[in-house]
Amino acid sequence: MNAVTLSEKMIWVKRSIAVVLVLAAWSFCSVAGLVNDYLLPAPWKIADLAWKMICDGTLLKHVWISLYRVFLGFGITLGLAFPLAAVVGLNKIFFELLETPLEFVRHVPPLATTPLLILWLGIGESSKLAVIVLATFFPIFLNTVNGVSQCDKKLLEVGRVLGLRPFERIVRIILPSALPVIIVGLRLGFGYSWRALIGAELLAAAAGLGYMIIEAEALARPDIVLVGIISIGTLGHLLDSSFLRLSRKLIPWHEMESDYGRY
Amino acid sequence: MGGIEIHALGKQFQINNRLIPAVCNFELQVSEREFVTIVGKSGCGKTTLLRLICGLENADQGYVRLAGHNGKAFDQRVSIVFQEPRLMPWLTVRQNMAFSLLKENDHQKVDRTVNFFLNMLGLTPFQDAYPRQISGGMAQRTALGRTLCFDPDIILMDEPFGALDAFTRHNLQQELVDIFLSQNKTIIFVTHDVNEAVLLGQRVLVMDKGSIRRELAIDIPYPRDALSKDFYNLREEILRSVLKP
Repeated sequence: MNAVTLSEKMIWVKRSIAVVLVLAAWSFCSVAGLVNDYLLPAPWKIADLAWKMICDGTLLKHVWISLYRVFLGFGITLGLAFPLAAVVGLNKIFFELLETPLEFVRHVPPLATTPLLILWLGIGESSKLAVIVLATFFPIFLNTVNGVSQCDKKLLEVGRVLGLRPFERIVRIILPSALPVIIVGLRLGFGYSWRALIGAELLAAAAGLGYMIIEAEALARPDIVLVGIISIGTLGHLLDSSFLRLSRKLIPWHEMESDYGRY
Repeated sequence: MGGIEIHALGKQFQINNRLIPAVCNFELQVSEREFVTIVGKSGCGKTTLLRLICGLENADQGYVRLAGHNGKAFDQRVSIVFQEPRLMPWLTVRQNMAFSLLKENDHQKVDRTVNFFLNMLGLTPFQDAYPRQISGGMAQRTALGRTLCFDPDIILMDEPFGALDAFTRHNLQQELVDIFLSQNKTIIFVTHDVNEAVLLGQRVLVMDKGSIRRELAIDIPYPRDALSKDFYNLREEILRSVLKP
């Protein structure tokens, strides 16, 4: 037990080394005057500004709006991608019918559709949600299709021999065996949705972390831009690791060391 | 209620545009509570035969009838223990064994049955482990337990101990004989190990090119002594007929 906690502590130490080194180098450059204080303000100035923005509520307001959009968009994608993937994964005919249109849409980056989406849906919430849905749909859909259609035939035979009906085989064998692959898709989709949202907010929004950055650009405030970037990275990392923790709980039988498809 | 009647059974597979017969003109009668072992070289159609009996393959010719009393077709429960354990990786040992009892609504009965076989197979200490955490022998015992929980009238076994080490294999062979003697099961056991065939079966069939080449009754009482003269003679005789060109 002691050995485990010790090695866990070591992991945290190792993970912090890079952060500490970057902060140290940054501080050194600021103190030594190697960088322009306006273009790259010192870390403590950024921290001070971030603290002020947290206290007066501006940062939290933007974070809250971005998170709200991500979760809502993610929820909508789940509702669309899961049933569709289940149908397509279980029936080869649907897969063949949908292959060409889906391949076409898959190769269009969601941000490229933003101008059209703004024209069609306005600059309100719907266009941002549409970008998130477009960005998250394919990782979730394709991983679910793969997971469902690549179920081990040998396990399905066990179900047949034990007299399970087709629907029971789907619920008892196909879905649980696809779950690890589905979760990889969810995690991947979640990462995509965060990036796509910030992109959409940079193009057209009245609030959110992306908007905060583009507004800071207009105000010529690189310090606010940095606070925005650091918030985006930190939140993305926090969301991803909570997701990983949740998926470990959901699929305890599965080795989770694989980082397949994370980037 | 555990008899099997097989008549003129045939099955071909198409490989590279050629029809390869796997089972041809196969005839067999197995009576209730009989333990039949089938030996043969690999590719002689043993596995296909078992898959035809349990309905995983459809026959091209002939039929398999799971005969009840008076030879009438009877709704019998057949199950198969595969060469590999084929456990569900997301279920624990206990849940894997209970997997065959999904249709049973009486949870106490499920618990009782699973506990009984966990205990019989020595798996109680590992009941909460996942398949990737246990050894191959334990996994194969879990697969056997899953089949026994299902309580089939007929158990088909496809080289179930083939991938195990000699010690585990020996133990499981003893356990299987005990199970056969204590539970009312009809067993067809396929193996390429002549020793195993003589050790377990009341009747040994030598299979070649999809049909039976030789048939021998083994009337040595259980548990059998693999070092006895009778055992040795029978084994040599079967080995010769397997190897005969």
